[in-house]
Amino acid sequence: MNKIKVRICSGTTCFVMGSSFLNDLYDIIPEKYNGQVIVEPSLCLGQCSKSGKHSKAPYVLVDDEIVAEATIESVISAIDKKVSSNE
Amino acid sequence: MFIDIGFYQKKKYNQNAFGDFFLSKRYKDTGRIISVLSDGLGSGIKANILACMTASMLMKFIEAHSDIKDACEIIMNSLPVCKVRKISYSTFSAIDCDEDGNAKIVEEGNPEFLWIRNNEIMTPEYKVITSTTFTNRHMHIYNIKLEKGDRIIFCSDGITQAALGTKELRLGIRREGLIEIVRSKLKDFPDISSDELARYIVRQVEIIEPDHKLKDDTSVACIYFRNPRESMIFTGPPYDMAQDNYYAANFYNFKGKKAIAGGTTANLISRELNIEIEADRNINVGKLPGISHMKGVDLVTEGILTLTKTAEYLESGIKSDDAAGKLMDFFLDSDVIKFMVGVKLNQAHYNPNLPIEIEIRKNIIKKIVKLLEDKYTKKVDVTYI
Repeated sequence: MNKIKVRICSGTTCFVMGSSFLNDLYDIIPEKYNGQVIVEPSLCLGQCSKSGKHSKAPYVLVDDEIVAEATIESVISAIDKKVSSNE
Repeated sequence: MFIDIGFYQKKKYNQNAFGDFFLSKRYKDTGRIISVLSDGLGSGIKANILACMTASMLMKFIEAHSDIKDACEIIMNSLPVCKVRKISYSTFSAIDCDEDGNAKIVEEGNPEFLWIRNNEIMTPEYKVITSTTFTNRHMHIYNIKLEKGDRIIFCSDGITQAALGTKELRLGIRREGLIEIVRSKLKDFPDISSDELARYIVRQVEIIEPDHKLKDDTSVACIYFRNPRESMIFTGPPYDMAQDNYYAANFYNFKGKKAIAGGTTANLISRELNIEIEADRNINVGKLPGISHMKGVDLVTEGILTLTKTAEYLESGIKSDDAAGKLMDFFLDSDVIKFMVGVKLNQAHYNPNLPIEIEIRKNIIKKIVKLLEDKYTKKVDVTYI
């Protein structure tokens, strides 16, 4: 099975909108999914410019799915969905 | 040739102000540099005021007069004498030099400077001018021609008189002691920067002092003539997208050290030149985004937040071990810094929902450039693209 890849945007806007609060994911994810999910920081994912007038930062990419206004809970639930659909 | 200037000082033990004062100014257009070191009588606040006034006035005088000799003579003839100690309120050394290696040096009361070539001490000729108002004051004037690799070292008497009165060194380490410290360091590290050398000398002197307590204000100014260390920093995407590839290649082919400040900029270079970027999460201390790695580039950081923080660090001189601290080190390890500043606005930065106000890139760059030029005597060149 391919590993799921989670990328947390640390571009300027995402960072000030709270992506630094997602840092706990670096500890939570490897433990919770037993190494089946890779999590890494990313330079600007360029999502703000795509989302029209008001950006919904911070953004997290779970494989190819965009999680806007990401929180730890919303990222975990997006991963859970991915995991269950893969099974 | 590039003139690398480094200065370091420590206060006398238990004092809360520096009694020596150093000023240096680089003139971009002419390649001229004027540096002044003054040692104020006594220590603490009084010495600080005396040294600061002497150095500032001397600097202004040298700037205003075409000849350093006239400027120094005016100061020598006018410095008052302390009623109690019957000695001059302050002593000074001054150098006026250019990138072709022409240097004029004037000393009054400070220890004789060192001129080092191939780790040997040179003995230049000098002229003595005696003050017309105070006959016990003499000024030494040197006219010398410096070559690539030459070093000049000025110090206050806190250095040469270190360990004064101890059993082993009754008269202090004197000039010979300083020469020994400098030559042994240069033997092992012939290319050491002026800044590092100045720090090293002061630290060594502190070690020699009994209980490591400095008995006088201790200052060293080093000057090193060498090839410039060039670096380039690319920040912000260019206004004209069609030129992205041209600027990316231009940056990547630059011979010196390279840094990128900006996620979008790094992505642009990665896309145009097909080079991978890898974000590093180890250096993410909460207040600033971490750094990334890209083959062929020495440092990759986030843009505005990191630059804003770097300006703060440059202003205060105190840094943390984060991305901005690394960017500050990158600047300070260079002599000539070229900025490539993309002026395309990032709309996402002007979102009313953002909890903080994000500075305009151009303004921060202007602030950093001013600090690098004025405070750190770097040569800076900015291109807006």
